[in-house]
Amino acid sequence: MRLGLVLSEGREAEMARLAEAHGLFGVLAGSANPLTAVSSAVYASTATDLVRVIARVQLGLEHPVTMAEELGVLDNVNNGRTVILADTGQLDAADAAEEVEVLRAALSNRPLQHDGRKWKVPAGLPANATAPKSIAVTPKPAQLEIPFWLTGARAREANESLRLPVVAREPSSVSNPGAVQPAITQIGGELTQDRERVAAWVAAGVTHLLIELPRDGDDAALMTMISRHLAPEVGMPHFPRVMSQSRVPLPWPGERG
Amino acid sequence: MVGPIASVNPYMDLRRSMRFGVGLFSLQCTAMQPRHWAGAYRDMRELAVLMEALGYDELWLSEHHFFYDGYCPALLPAAASVLSVTERLRVGTGMLLLPMYDPQRLASIATDLSVRSGGRLDLGVGMGYRDIEFDGHGVSRKQRLPRMLKGLEVLEQAEAAGGAPVWMGAQLIDPVKRAGQRGHPILFSAALPYERCVTLAKVWEEGWTESGRPADAKPALGALRNIWLTEDKREREAARDWVRASYVQYAGLGWTLPAVGDHQVQDYAEDTDKAIADTVETTITGSAEECIRQLRMFDEIGIKNIAFRLILDGEPRPALESQLRRLAEHVIPHLRDRVVA
Repeated sequence: MRLGLVLSEGREAEMARLAEAHGLFGVLAGSANPLTAVSSAVYASTATDLVRVIARVQLGLEHPVTMAEELGVLDNVNNGRTVILADTGQLDAADAAEEVEVLRAALSNRPLQHDGRKWKVPAGLPANATAPKSIAVTPKPAQLEIPFWLTGARAREANESLRLPVVAREPSSVSNPGAVQPAITQIGGELTQDRERVAAWVAAGVTHLLIELPRDGDDAALMTMISRHLAPEVGMPHFPRVMSQSRVPLPWPGERG
Repeated sequence: MVGPIASVNPYMDLRRSMRFGVGLFSLQCTAMQPRHWAGAYRDMRELAVLMEALGYDELWLSEHHFFYDGYCPALLPAAASVLSVTERLRVGTGMLLLPMYDPQRLASIATDLSVRSGGRLDLGVGMGYRDIEFDGHGVSRKQRLPRMLKGLEVLEQAEAAGGAPVWMGAQLIDPVKRAGQRGHPILFSAALPYERCVTLAKVWEEGWTESGRPADAKPALGALRNIWLTEDKREREAARDWVRASYVQYAGLGWTLPAVGDHQVQDYAEDTDKAIADTVETTITGSAEECIRQLRMFDEIGIKNIAFRLILDGEPRPALESQLRRLAEHVIPHLRDRVVA
């Protein structure tokens, strides 16, 4: 299992670079304000070596073609490292599923034509006389296909037709883990308890665990705990702790004389 | 009724000297200049850092939708990418097509970016003109004006509360006057000859005056200008050809610059060659003294924000960087120091 970090609003760039420095696989941006998710993810993209920048976008707040255009730009800004975490928000399961379908079709490399329960794209409005029957949403993503994960109150119901990874919040909710099984958890900062916490997620079959840091904690100390103790612990079965509990190697004293 | 005046707008002080930006960054991968889109976004960030180091004030972005070359359809994420790697440079949208957006969401994102960046975002908005762009977003073209006006109200409220300053893009009498009445500066197109800028700047000022706004609170206007500083004949010829090639894109988009008073139509769709040739003639080129002379003419009609339109189709990056350095060294300092008493 690999570990990632949930970013705090307004500190995305700073925290993403911290996550990168500690070797985490990715970061989740846009948890607090659903309206500013994409720009938050852009700021997080200033960290260049992170494997993934996960943008949490709440469905139902904007036309899905507009959202797809923003996400297509995001994926080119970060050179193909985007994962979209689609939050069903206030939508019912059917509307959420349709919106994800439109987003995925718009971000594919095929012309977009959709006629569904809620959305028709292109709309075919009489006043737009010269509009054709299909559109190309551009720029296309930098990667072959942007991964979609689901979260929110209607995620499991919506996923009956979508078949995407649903983010788990409790190890017990992971009943049938897929090839990629994401989850989000909060750590408390106490090493023994946090070791047990992440071990439970490994046992549940999770592949990518996003960690929320406690508020008002010492971020630098917590990140050191994650990279020195928790990440090795979940990196292999029966991790020999002598390596993480040994003395930290001395720093270079600098050039002398 | 007088609407909110942009109290946070840094362009309000007419006594200040000119300001200089560069545009239009549209992040295209064209038939004539293929590249990866991710590379286009990376280049923009690198150029933004260079522009900041050279003393430029602003980078301007441009928006279109559903075009084969990836013409940037989402300006605020693109703006965020520039703002996240710079500290002083302003970023403007020139123009974001307001009727196609939910204005409340747009205002929220713009305000967030403005706050994050220390107030470095300028929110330029226009109406759009391509049927396909409206239809792809489920908007009737007939609704573009009411949606524009409603959207402006929302953005003006956000601006009055400390959000991003609102600019407008317009080329015709009514919308230019409307911008003056509402108190928003305009960024004129580079395709407008100087004489048309003179006409429209007067129209804008009439709108400002008619609305009862104080004369000393007028913001300076802006204009994109095609420009290439060189005394080398071959380089001048190449630069003018890059201007030509970049306006071929607008022929493909179906853009037309309608007639205004005595100023004739420039129809890129129906009379492509003439429209493009006329636009190439707007290019300021020659020695530093000649460039300074022509730019001062804009200063004298209240257009103090000049955006050099230097992002051209077919132009190699070393040529662009060279031109950025030349203008920064030989032109800008002579115009910046000229503060009107």
